[in-house]
Amino acid sequence: MPIIKIKELSFAYETQTVLEEINLVVEEKDFLAIIGPNGGGKSTLLKLILGINDYKQGSLKVLGKAPKDSLTQMGYVPQNTNVNTDFPIKVIEVVMMGHVDGKRPLFGYGKDEVLCATGALKQVGMADFAQTKIGSLSGGQRQRVMIARALCAHPQILILDEPTSSIDITGQREIYELLKVLNEHITVIVVSHDISVILEYANKAAHVNKKLSYHDISDKHSTFHTHGNDGHFCEIELLQMLGAENCDTCTSTGSVTVHSTGSVYDNKKSVLAPVEGKWRLKP
Amino acid sequence: MMEALQFDFMQHALLAGILVSFAAGIIGSLIVVNRMVFLAGGIAHTSYGGIGLAVYFGLPIFLGASLFAVGAALLIAALTLKKRHRMDTFIGLIWAVGMAIGVIFVDLTPGYNVDLMSYLFGSILAVSKEDLYFMAVLLTVILAVVTLRYRDILAVSYDSEYAGLRGVNVRFFYTLILILSALTVVIAIKVVGLILVIAMLTIPVYIAEKLSASLFTMMFLSGAIATLFTLVGLWMSYTYDLTSGASIIIVSAVSLGFFLLFNKRI
Repeated sequence: MPIIKIKELSFAYETQTVLEEINLVVEEKDFLAIIGPNGGGKSTLLKLILGINDYKQGSLKVLGKAPKDSLTQMGYVPQNTNVNTDFPIKVIEVVMMGHVDGKRPLFGYGKDEVLCATGALKQVGMADFAQTKIGSLSGGQRQRVMIARALCAHPQILILDEPTSSIDITGQREIYELLKVLNEHITVIVVSHDISVILEYANKAAHVNKKLSYHDISDKHSTFHTHGNDGHFCEIELLQMLGAENCDTCTSTGSVTVHSTGSVYDNKKSVLAPVEGKWRLKP
Repeated sequence: MMEALQFDFMQHALLAGILVSFAAGIIGSLIVVNRMVFLAGGIAHTSYGGIGLAVYFGLPIFLGASLFAVGAALLIAALTLKKRHRMDTFIGLIWAVGMAIGVIFVDLTPGYNVDLMSYLFGSILAVSKEDLYFMAVLLTVILAVVTLRYRDILAVSYDSEYAGLRGVNVRFFYTLILILSALTVVIAIKVVGLILVIAMLTIPVYIAEKLSASLFTMMFLSGAIATLFTLVGLWMSYTYDLTSGASIIIVSAVSLGFFLLFNKRI
């Protein structure tokens, strides 16, 4: 059974259409990267999967059920974890928020909850900071704590909304290395602008800009090299890579790829290779 | 000062000061971490409408003010949960309309000119036994809620979206915090008056926030600091024959000034 199955899903805020006829299947232990321009609907898609927003058209099943019934199976790391840093709260208390409402003591936290939260902190390498005030952590550390909070409920799916937007490059790599380890047991979905990093770790990529085009990029490692010394390149280049060339339903204008339809484009056998100085997917 | 404590009204004033300060410290913490200070100010001023209505219809002042303030809190909760971005406009509106209603009903009351100043700036020396009971019951309710539902309140205050995803009823707890704020504002009107209540809800809280690593510590530390300020303020008011509410606020503000000077972690 696929972990997430989205069929012909459309969504609009009042009159403005944000997502149109989205089709997407996420399998167990996939590492799916969702990319696309700002305002393209990436976060909205996540909110639909999480059941925060209600959709009217199409169908969306998480583990075969409606999103709201699968909440306990989903761990969520929200986009901006730098808000409310003055809030007087210890790291361990933040992590324990991840527990699902269930049996709990009249006052304070249960022993098993504390143990579970400590375990989650260990998993993300933040065990030493359990009693620290959240505001005194760095952006990368705080992000790890938020991942621990999501892990606290033992989810089958971990969903992250731009987890590295406010972290330096070393910190970003550390976060993705951590996700890679976690991915051995759970499905990971990441919305991100950090294209170069994403390409190294993800096995599938979905480009969302109102519509969704989908790419299997699990074969990339054989021929994949990043250019430059810092192992970093920009979104435009990635869009070129994932864009038009092999895709007969897409049109390419200049260096930015415009996807004209939402058809699924499976690219299992193609690899990334430089063509005329640009990265392309080659069959 | 000691001989003054033999008087009933002085004992009442002290007890009221302690009860109200503790409630204000706890609820003030929730108001500050939820960024609802302006909102609490709105409710405080709106409650004057309840005072006016109570005077006109001959009801107990506390009852009128409480009902009106809770009504305003529910209205604000409903509006802000729906249209968060227009919140400041609504609060400003409710703030002014509530006061206007109060003033007009006091005008309409025949032969009875209530002392407006005592509600604006407090009248702690006029606290009755019934007032004390009301304050004690409210403080008990507040203590029960924040200890028994601490986790939910913490989750909603820190990250309401995430709390919702974890099955916490965000609307309920948001509204509950507002209702408790409204009731706390009403009892604080007796001590410092509705204009000065905001200072009482925020100054001790600001100091406690810097010294606390958890919301729980912050709430109780705020309560203790607020109590200290109130007692010192009352002493000052008695010794130099000054208005009690204003004295409490000045003591708080001067203490905050010293705290900022000597606390380098800010």
